Amino acid sequence: MALLQIKNLNVSFLINGESLPVISGVNLNIGENETLVLAGESGSGKTITSLSITKLLPKNSVVTSGEVHFLGTDLLQLKESELCRVRGAEIAYVFQEPTSFLNPIFTIGNQLMEVIILHQGVDRDAAYSIAVELLRQTKLSSPERLMHSYPHQLSGGMNQRVFLAMSLACRPRLLIADEPTTALDVTVEAEILRLLKEFKDKLGFALLFITHNLSLARKIADRICIMYQGRIVEEAGVNDIFTAPRHPHTQKLLWAYEKIGRL
Amino acid sequence: MIGNKSLFLGAAIIIFFTFMALAAPFLTEYEPALIDGSNLLMPPSARHLLGTDSLGRDLASRIFYGARISLSIGILAVGVATVLGVFFGSLAAFYGGILDSLLMRLVDIMLCFPTFYLILGIAAITQPSVFNIVLIIGLTSWMQPARLIRSEILSLKEREFIQAAKAIGASNMRIILRHLLPNALGPVLVNATLGIGGAIMVESGLSFLGLGVQPPIPSWGNILMESKSTLGVAWWITVFPGLAILITILGFNFLAEGLKKKIG
Repeated sequence: MALLQIKNLNVSFLINGESLPVISGVNLNIGENETLVLAGESGSGKTITSLSITKLLPKNSVVTSGEVHFLGTDLLQLKESELCRVRGAEIAYVFQEPTSFLNPIFTIGNQLMEVIILHQGVDRDAAYSIAVELLRQTKLSSPERLMHSYPHQLSGGMNQRVFLAMSLACRPRLLIADEPTTALDVTVEAEILRLLKEFKDKLGFALLFITHNLSLARKIADRICIMYQGRIVEEAGVNDIFTAPRHPHTQKLLWAYEKIGRL
Repeated sequence: MIGNKSLFLGAAIIIFFTFMALAAPFLTEYEPALIDGSNLLMPPSARHLLGTDSLGRDLASRIFYGARISLSIGILAVGVATVLGVFFGSLAAFYGGILDSLLMRLVDIMLCFPTFYLILGIAAITQPSVFNIVLIIGLTSWMQPARLIRSEILSLKEREFIQAAKAIGASNMRIILRHLLPNALGPVLVNATLGIGGAIMVESGLSFLGLGVQPPIPSWGNILMESKSTLGVAWWITVFPGLAILITILGFNFLAEGLKKKIG
């Protein structure tokens, strides 16, 4: 039984009263503890697909049809207040630019404690110690001092660790990581990926990882879905896709990677 | 530090007048309404620091006690205006659509009236009391803060950390109160500080015209009004409350200027 099941998802942008389809008939399954990579070129609909899971879509876009089953409920049918209890608690997100996704005028500690208090109903003291412990687990040095730091005082890599701690604070069942390392340099990228894997082994969540980087996908994926122009054109186990790509677009992507020798 | 000269100067002036208002009973031995028929229109002297008025009341005492009324009307009126403005402005910006259009058209309509004449009109038909004056000034000056906060929030709500707040499960109310408003408050604070000066001016104007604070309660405006008839013989009754108004408004303008440099 899949943890998350997206059935025939269609999303459109409304531009000047006209409806422009951007996601067409996407089907997607993620099992417990599985790592699914959603790969594809820019504008292929990866992010929109991931945002529509908890209805975080921008205002000018609508889900025209489809179902998103998560633990037996269709998330698209839920009211906003019910979705607020799912977001951050059951399904958490990590985004691309860690520094701009943190509120600039609040301390790291303040923001970490907010999500803990919001979903776990503990008091400030308990939230504080949980937050410090989370920061320690992300291997940031002197977590107590960091609790009183502001996002602009930290590097991108540090902020991404903080954001990861924030996302995992309530032990979600599904983590959606939307290009979490694209804004970071390669050494930091490797550290973040290692950390992500450690957390995954320890906490046991399913991971939907979005990237355009196929060599990265190969390292972490159990299964890969290739998106192209709002559709999933190929879905296969990680080895199959790299040894026997079937769809012409996948073949082209792989050919491009072979050409520059990064695979 | 140069940029902060105005901040310190403004703060010093306001602290000075606030102290004057709070410590009024300790600064003077005269009651502000105590009529002394043997000391009419006395010029400033050691006994009456700023002189006396046409009823023999001590002018210094009246200005000290008047500071209480004038300052609190200024601050409370701007408080009302800012709370209303922040409320309507953030609702309009966050929810957009028809609510935004309706609220902003209401703002446009309110801004069509020349504010002082609108205030005069309302003041003429209501009971002149401190409470009413606060309400009248507050209800006719919330439009500017509303527009200001609306534009701030319109740009803030597109920022990534607001999407992140949604993604951790924050409700709309929580996003407005905890994530948007604190980020938008800087310019509103500057505007409010500037507004206090303006509100004190309006209150003085109203009281001068007899529609504001009613005698015998002293406010800077109604001391000026009473000084009109004796201007030729007793310059001090006009000059000192006038200076108090001038310097206080300057103080708030300096403070606003300094805050603007500091925050923006």
